[in-house]
Amino acid sequence: DDHKLSTSELEEKYGTSIDKGLSSARAAEILARDGPNSLTPPKATPEIVKFLKQMVGGFSILLWIGAVFSWISFGIQLAQGAESPFDNLYLGVVLALVVILTGIFAYYQEAKSTNIMASFSKMIPQQALVIRDAEKKELPADQLVVGDIVEIKGGDRIPADIRLLFTQGCKVDNSSLTGESEPQSRSCDFTHENPLETRNIAFYSTTCVEGTATGIVINTGDRTIIGRIASLASGVGNEKTPIAIEIEHFVYLVAGVAISIGVLFFIISVSMRYKILDSIIFLIGIIVANVPEGLLATVTVSLSLTAKRMAKKNCLVKNLEAVETLGSTSIICSDKTGTLTQNRMTVAHLWFDNQIYSADTSEDQTTQPFDQSSPSWTALSKIVTLCNRAEFRPGQENLPIMKRVVVGDASETALLKFAEVILGDVMNIRARNKKVAEIPFNSTNKFQLSIHETDDPNDKRFLLVMKGAPERILERCSTIMINGKEEPLDSEKAEAFQTAYMELGGMGERVLGFCHLYLPENEFPDTYPFDTDSMNFPTSNLCFVGLLSMIDPPRSTVPDAVSKCRSAGIKVIMVTGDHPITAKAIAKSVGIISATSETVEDIAKRLNIPVEQVNRREATAAVVNGMELKDMSLQQLDEILSNHSEIVFARTSPQQKLIIVEGCQRQGAVVAVTGDGVNDSPALKKADIGIAMGIAGSDAAKNAADMVLLDDNFASIVTGVEEGRLIFDNLKKTIAYTLTKNIAELCPFLIYIIASIPMPIGTITILFIDLGTDIIPSVALAYEKAESDIMNRRPRNKRKDRLVNEQLAVYSYLQIGIMQSVGAFVTYFTVYAEQGFLPSTLLGVRVNWENNASNDFEDSYGQEWTKYQRMYLQWTGYTAFFVSITIQQVADLIIRKTRRNSIFQQGLFRNKVIWVGIFSQIGIALILTYGLGHVTALNFTPLRFQYWFVAVPFAILIWVYDEVRKLFIRRYPGSWWDKNMYY
Amino acid sequence: MSKEAKKPFRQSMAEWRQFVYNPNSGEFLGRTAKSWGLILLFYLVFYGFLAALFTFTMWVMLQTLSSDIPKYRDRISSPGLMISPKPDTALEFYFNKSDAQSYAEYVSTLRKFLESYDDSKQSQNINCTPGRIFDQNDVAVKKACRFNLSELGQCSGKEDKTFGYSKGTPCVLVKMNRIIGLKPEGEPHIHCTSKEEGMVEINYFPPEGLIDLMYFPYYGKSLHAHYLQPLVAVQLAINSSSTKEEIAIECKILGSPNLKNEDDRDKFLGRIAFKVQMTE
Repeated sequence: DDHKLSTSELEEKYGTSIDKGLSSARAAEILARDGPNSLTPPKATPEIVKFLKQMVGGFSILLWIGAVFSWISFGIQLAQGAESPFDNLYLGVVLALVVILTGIFAYYQEAKSTNIMASFSKMIPQQALVIRDAEKKELPADQLVVGDIVEIKGGDRIPADIRLLFTQGCKVDNSSLTGESEPQSRSCDFTHENPLETRNIAFYSTTCVEGTATGIVINTGDRTIIGRIASLASGVGNEKTPIAIEIEHFVYLVAGVAISIGVLFFIISVSMRYKILDSIIFLIGIIVANVPEGLLATVTVSLSLTAKRMAKKNCLVKNLEAVETLGSTSIICSDKTGTLTQNRMTVAHLWFDNQIYSADTSEDQTTQPFDQSSPSWTALSKIVTLCNRAEFRPGQENLPIMKRVVVGDASETALLKFAEVILGDVMNIRARNKKVAEIPFNSTNKFQLSIHETDDPNDKRFLLVMKGAPERILERCSTIMINGKEEPLDSEKAEAFQTAYMELGGMGERVLGFCHLYLPENEFPDTYPFDTDSMNFPTSNLCFVGLLSMIDPPRSTVPDAVSKCRSAGIKVIMVTGDHPITAKAIAKSVGIISATSETVEDIAKRLNIPVEQVNRREATAAVVNGMELKDMSLQQLDEILSNHSEIVFARTSPQQKLIIVEGCQRQGAVVAVTGDGVNDSPALKKADIGIAMGIAGSDAAKNAADMVLLDDNFASIVTGVEEGRLIFDNLKKTIAYTLTKNIAELCPFLIYIIASIPMPIGTITILFIDLGTDIIPSVALAYEKAESDIMNRRPRNKRKDRLVNEQLAVYSYLQIGIMQSVGAFVTYFTVYAEQGFLPSTLLGVRVNWENNASNDFEDSYGQEWTKYQRMYLQWTGYTAFFVSITIQQVADLIIRKTRRNSIFQQGLFRNKVIWVGIFSQIGIALILTYGLGHVTALNFTPLRFQYWFVAVPFAILIWVYDEVRKLFIRRYPGSWWDKNMYY
Repeated sequence: MSKEAKKPFRQSMAEWRQFVYNPNSGEFLGRTAKSWGLILLFYLVFYGFLAALFTFTMWVMLQTLSSDIPKYRDRISSPGLMISPKPDTALEFYFNKSDAQSYAEYVSTLRKFLESYDDSKQSQNINCTPGRIFDQNDVAVKKACRFNLSELGQCSGKEDKTFGYSKGTPCVLVKMNRIIGLKPEGEPHIHCTSKEEGMVEINYFPPEGLIDLMYFPYYGKSLHAHYLQPLVAVQLAINSSSTKEEIAIECKILGSPNLKNEDDRDKFLGRIAFKVQMTE
């Protein structure tokens, strides 16, 4: 009922004071009683459910089936009293262990990346302006308690349920609570019985769109209106991210292949009169060979690596979806001020002695390089220093000049810093030239004037300095200083001034004129009483000294970033509220409008014809005024967006931003939009990826955005795009690498079934490849640097360019995979042949070979083998096959570093982690063969050293073949080869 | 973004049909006939090349091998033992001594096995000096030593065509696996034991189950074509009281330090276990 109470009743009820607020001690008490002002988070999925999901998700279900089959066949064999039924029991246990371990790993990774995301949201905490202990304080919003007096301004999120006490044009957006899309005005008056309807209450989690208000907190946390509507808090649906969709697509694809090959060969083996039990065991083998057990874990690791890397580069991503969407962005609509520019006026040009000088406008200037020897500059610098009211806040002596906080308006700040950089201690100079009178700037005068004593003890004259709008200053001058000498201001010199003024103005810069006058000592003695109201001193016939022009200069990293976007096929559109001339000048200086392109107006000016007669298609650039945009039809807007490649929208309102975004989306583009204000929220939400500014952005903008730029820098967006593209590419590479050897694992089973040769590779051995030697190399690919073309190709088309496309699967499975199989089989046959079983002897021997009762099995040379001797040879075969796959996977790893570039362009040694991968791969293989070669259960045997090299020629062949593939792709873009071989 | 609505079934069916055959572009499974032709040609060439490469490397590898002896023999350093006849059911003999049909298969197997030991087949074989390794390293054509069937005595099949099965004294031939270059040391002989004491009496032919050293070494199938490995016949005289009982027999090779017979994992290395059950 708080809305019905009067101010004093409220004060009494909550034990607070409207002017002084609560005392800190009292607030702490209430906080302890009520708890923090935050909603109890919606009930999260129980950890155990998340864990179980990992256990059955992805490939796990296939492996579970394999494990269950193993146990079934163990049961049957045990019942039949077969010789070694425990093999299948162990296999089942191993498969189950694999599922559980990868499940635990994936669960752990997910928890970790969830934590990263959670910490992101904590890094942008909501602040509230509170009056406590009679002082205004910024507090985290969750520290608010009932009775606190808070101040709200446009752009803020309402930090709690608040009864308003003072308002000024306050409007709130209640859409999240009531669904009303129009902002509601708020006042202090009790207008309705229902607290939801009355005007004098603002609700928690809604946003203040404009105006200001002060109010008293009446409910916090779960006791707020929104906290009571429990359904609202828990109804946040989890949409699947594109990368999740891509991975699901990939899992389906591989599982489909595994199951269909498995079932096909089950049928084949049954019809080849294999026993059902044997066929089931084959089926398990085929499934295990086909499923890349380690891959999903690898993908999770890669994704969280990217999330971390993005955070380091000032892109806080609210969900991983955004990383990937950013990678496929095709249009970026960027704000100008603060994003493209430094958001700080800086002196860009000077004009004195009839000459224009350029000043350094970079972020970290410490000196100014232009020629400072002229006495005119000495005079000008004196005016700049003295005719200025801006001051540094004290206590910043150790900070770089550019970083110091200044009290004063933007232009004066620019001049102050400019002077400080060149002359040193400005405050000291001002102290030595004591100010005796001053007229501050006002819009009628359009000038600022002050009168000083000089620091020259021999010169008793007063110095009058003045700055202001150049034309107004010039009007008051009769002379002009050239090289330190006063010369009469004739029409020729006035012409020179006009030219310079136009030129500087045409660059979109704000120009100021400076003049001075030394007051004659006899007329204005020491004690002369200057009166600024009656102006008892001359304000005309002054001496013109020079011009200074200022601009909010582009950030130094932006031009580079823009040109990167251009080559990446991303269109950059500037949307600003600034004047078209300034907007165009900045657009030109950062390259949004390139040096050679012209707008319709430029062409008209060059050809000296009216704008209407220009062929609009000739102009590549366009500067669209907000006023024009207002009158445009959708078709006209579409036409502009599609006909011009370089577009600047000037004098636009935030509402028009939404129209622009929608227009871009109609073109089929993936649009990224930057924004900072409350009014930008709709555009941020509408865009495919909304980017809020971390420094300048309002809470509302940050909430609506998918990503927050911590440094407000446009270049960070481009870095984000690059990262987004990179992770997509690298995942492709990882998957291609992992899929390849599955064929080399699968072929043995197929040939074993069809040709009845001794088993070339064991199921356990396969698991040692998938989860042993291959894991570190596939993670290492996530560290791969971008290929040189990553920012030179068109953005990804979401519908067509899949993560795992046909080319990737076909190239990995049917080309490199088959090559690996051939290499491994050569090693296999070599091992058998050198031990006495020539290839011809091996065909069709399976039944006798595996017969436990056959202990005098004859080889090609007439020798006889017991079953165990054959088994041991078979394990040697497994080991040889394993080693060959490992050796060829090294080649596979190297070729997967790039998809288009030559390895030599990419550099073999730039990604050190790849080498860690290669060494780990070979190291693990060495340990397995020689270290664990005597543990029979693992089926490894110490292998003769030369067998490690049998597959090396095939590994080299893989490398050479892939280099040829890439060469043709680079040489013949768009050819049949390119279309079929580029994945 | 995944904001697209799920497609209705009919539409996805139509898309699927379109994918299988697209009449507009003439595409079949996403490719035109020409495109299919090209891709198939590519894979024909690619796999043709791989097949040729495989054949070539295999050929090179086979060229490095000798046709006489395998490159490595380390996987069979010690021979296994095996018996003949070899019953289907995992080395278990079941027969009825009064029912000829029950042991006919054993008899025919033995007969067949001994065919190559027939005197007529051994005409080229020479008589070697007993008790000594018969080294022929320097000789191009390796001779095979004669193994007289008569050495097998009652188990030679000459006197008793049923190899003792009809009398309740079944014969089992024990042989040692051929291994190229193997030279047994000492005095190798086969010795069999039965776990169940007193159920069976075991006789050996040749006496003591001796394996003569003159049959070693073996030079391989191609050099040593007529080689016959020495045999030891084990005759089991089963006590009449022990009929119907399963008798477990284990035979081992003894007396030679370089022939292993105690391997943990290989139950057939220098030893063999089998079971006999005779009924009347």
